[in-house]
Amino acid sequence: MPEFRLNYLLSGCLILACVCAGISCSVVATPGDFYGSTTPPKQNIFRYVNGDEPESLDPPISTGQPEARIYMSLFEGLVEYDPKSLNAIPAIAETWEVNNDSSEFVFHLRHNARFSNGEPIKAQDFVYSLRRAISPELASKNSYLAYYVAYAQAYNEHRVFLRDRNTQQFVLEKDVAEAEPLTPPFSQRALNSPAAEYESGTIGPKPDPAVKPAGGADTAFHRFMHSPARLIMPAEEAKRTKLADSNPKLKTALQNTEPVAVSAEDVGAEAIDDYTVRISLSQPAPYFLGLIAHQLFRVVPRKVIEQYGAQWTDPAHIVTGGPFRLKAWRPYNELVVERDPMYWDAANVHLDEIHFFVSTDNPTSLNLYRVGEADAVLNHTVPNAWLGTIRPKKDYMDGSEAAIVYLNINVTRPPMNDLRVRRAFNMAIDKVNYSKSRLITKPLSAFTPEGIFVGYPQPKGEGFDPEQARKLLTEAGFPVTKQGDGSYQCKFPVEQVEFIYNSNSANKALAEFMQAQWKQNLGVTVPLRSMEFKTFMPARANLDYKGFAVGIWGADYMDPFTFLGLFSTPGGVNGTGWYDLKYVAMLDEANRNLNQQERYQQMAKAEKYLLENQPVIPIETSSVNFLKKPYVKGMYPNAASLYPWKFVYIERDSAKWDYSIPSLAD
Amino acid sequence: MISFIIRRLLITIPTILVVITITWGLVRLAPGNFYTSEKNIPPAIEKNIREKYGLDKPWYQQYGRTIWNIVRHFDFGTSLKYEGQSVNAIIARSLPVSATVGILAYLLALVVGVVTGSIAALYANSRRDYASMTLAMLGISIPNFVLGPILVLLFSLTLYWLPPSRWNGFPSRNIILPILTLSGLYMAYIARLTRAGLLEVLRSDYIRTARAKGLSERQVVMRHALRGGLLPVVSYTGPALALLVTGTVVVERIFVLPGLGNYFIQASLNRDEPLIIGIVSFIAIALLLMNLAVDVAYAYLDPRIRY
Repeated sequence: MPEFRLNYLLSGCLILACVCAGISCSVVATPGDFYGSTTPPKQNIFRYVNGDEPESLDPPISTGQPEARIYMSLFEGLVEYDPKSLNAIPAIAETWEVNNDSSEFVFHLRHNARFSNGEPIKAQDFVYSLRRAISPELASKNSYLAYYVAYAQAYNEHRVFLRDRNTQQFVLEKDVAEAEPLTPPFSQRALNSPAAEYESGTIGPKPDPAVKPAGGADTAFHRFMHSPARLIMPAEEAKRTKLADSNPKLKTALQNTEPVAVSAEDVGAEAIDDYTVRISLSQPAPYFLGLIAHQLFRVVPRKVIEQYGAQWTDPAHIVTGGPFRLKAWRPYNELVVERDPMYWDAANVHLDEIHFFVSTDNPTSLNLYRVGEADAVLNHTVPNAWLGTIRPKKDYMDGSEAAIVYLNINVTRPPMNDLRVRRAFNMAIDKVNYSKSRLITKPLSAFTPEGIFVGYPQPKGEGFDPEQARKLLTEAGFPVTKQGDGSYQCKFPVEQVEFIYNSNSANKALAEFMQAQWKQNLGVTVPLRSMEFKTFMPARANLDYKGFAVGIWGADYMDPFTFLGLFSTPGGVNGTGWYDLKYVAMLDEANRNLNQQERYQQMAKAEKYLLENQPVIPIETSSVNFLKKPYVKGMYPNAASLYPWKFVYIERDSAKWDYSIPSLAD
Repeated sequence: MISFIIRRLLITIPTILVVITITWGLVRLAPGNFYTSEKNIPPAIEKNIREKYGLDKPWYQQYGRTIWNIVRHFDFGTSLKYEGQSVNAIIARSLPVSATVGILAYLLALVVGVVTGSIAALYANSRRDYASMTLAMLGISIPNFVLGPILVLLFSLTLYWLPPSRWNGFPSRNIILPILTLSGLYMAYIARLTRAGLLEVLRSDYIRTARAKGLSERQVVMRHALRGGLLPVVSYTGPALALLVTGTVVVERIFVLPGLGNYFIQASLNRDEPLIIGIVSFIAIALLLMNLAVDVAYAYLDPRIRY
């Protein structure tokens, strides 16, 4: 009877399944040096679990890390990130010159750089790419990164200059300034000779004592850049009138003028000749070299973009300029790039292909890695619960990350507008203990990440001191009293505060820990509210919350300013409502300082001031955590998880494998 | 019959329009935008983005444009998140993936489910019946986000027989685990439906008549009993198949399949309005058509039903 047999077959399967499940559990627990298989792939192909599906292959468009890594394979900029330190190293620019106060940069391009269609990459392509990246029509979310470039912000924000109808002269910023303006940066001062402006500047990447920086030829555009800054006004007449009403100087200056839209041609990027690019900034920015490796500034092919518009990134049309070119794109599955023979340094590109896999599920990504279908996984894929198993393995990558977790405080609403209350809530948290529970992060009392910026005298914020916290809260008018059972009680208006976070398990654990600490040490039970990500972000940005909001910030470039600068604007990225002109001035002064050590000290002073005002409660420095097979070389757990792919290779000789975390030191 | 089908097809059109309108409104009501990300955007940049995508226009213009493009060109527009990719193209390339996995899983579920269910019904209250119904109960109660990882643990991480995830076209070894995972629940459900339906039919008068005519047991079951006993399975097939074909979020996520379900969940999280409207309309159309197909099949299977 066939049915009869089927019956036994079914039961058999069930038993087999149970037995196998039992076996598999014991296999998981077996110790080994590495997590899963260590057989190198047969071909020179690197398979990488890259996280989310890329939004777009157009470099200025996407802001995510998965896209950033793909862009780094397909596109190249003037400079590239160093695989270890992330400092600028030569890419399409062979050498560069920096002027005396880091407000102007001259890049000398190599002559053999080509796009994947064989056309040469010239200075004009970089000027085009920069203008396009910040054009209001492209509407790139990252365009704020280029705001340091002269008039870039004005162009991106659709603003206007004002020109006198009779004299055809433009109204200048200094004409209407209410206070005595700061000394303008070199890039805006009149020129005696370009060379003089560069004499105390630096030249990179290999300073040759025989070569003196010259700053490139003087041009009409250069003289325009080196003239006093023009006044920038909103395009809407009503807004201009309103501004003029509050400033009599402005009102006089506005008479008989006409608005002239700030155009792409006004932006401070210039092709001096086919192989020299000069970029003028509106302020000194010593970190600009580290920033210009960012995807926003990578070179894109003008002809193709003008021909196909938004469809230029379609696999049928795309032309790239990096070490690899697009081979295939299977959305939500994988993106394959192959070595580009047109690339100027193609001989030193080790890999034949890179396969970027899409996977957003951590266990799934780790499974692919374990069975040997992937050679490395993206950052933050190892769940906390798995750390016990995976951390002792030799292919586990660990390192400090240029990212922090902190709490925003809405300082515009009582009772959190009282500094004493904010300090009390900060001092009532045992951050060291919290970090221990998180296993791989470091406790943080400042607003810059721990151990990232070498030589930066990071200030310390106030530490864990529940006694002092209770005193401060009592002083602020919320007396804390000790109960018979040893617990504390506080007459605190808890209905006026809450703790909001975007729902994920890490944030939930954080919120619950903070709630417990405040209850235990202050006797205050702050209500928690979890929100979906897209609801949470605007609530925080518009200060549409009371009390506390979780904050996470990762560096855009390797300088403390990428963190401290968050509070140099009143809105947008500042989620606290704390905006202090004294703080802004301190940062500005620091950025003008040519001496790196002094600049760092001034920065640290500003950071100290920020911590004293406590608009934020720093919690922890994040940590890099991912896996890469020992045969993958040239890939380092750097602070931003960005990998210049041309340095990555597959080592077949097991004697040369990585048997520990490769060192970030040179 | 023909007029019935035409009538039903015509009703589909206003239904879809209502679905689109409600979806459009819900997306608008949801807080946040497709461009909200980890880093807050300065207001000026936000303004540029809103202008680029026409979000600065009055709502009735935006609504009118959406509806007009759909009605006139059957064009759902371009994804907001995936720059330059048209919604129609995204659906066109992800549907085959979902449909392949969904149809194969349903076929497997149908075959195993009907056979198991029939055995259980024919040998009601025997050990065989209990064994298959226990399995069915397990199948119904183990959710696929548990079943999937168990199968991966067994067949990929322990035995190294099958790849743990990823899509590799059809046919390939990658497809086996998703199909098994997906079919589990349906298999179990169909087995129970078959058993219940068949038991009821086996007690009915026309089966007694068939037996009295002297037909063999095999003929009684295959020709008469199953036809009536499978009616519940058929009515279940319509919506089940529609949902399976248009993607299953959990399985597509566990196995990283580039299917419609994956896009659907991502589109909602991303507030990618054109993509949400496109996929919702598509699922609505599929559901309506499948239900129509079920009604037609009913008429064929049950002689009492005529339109």
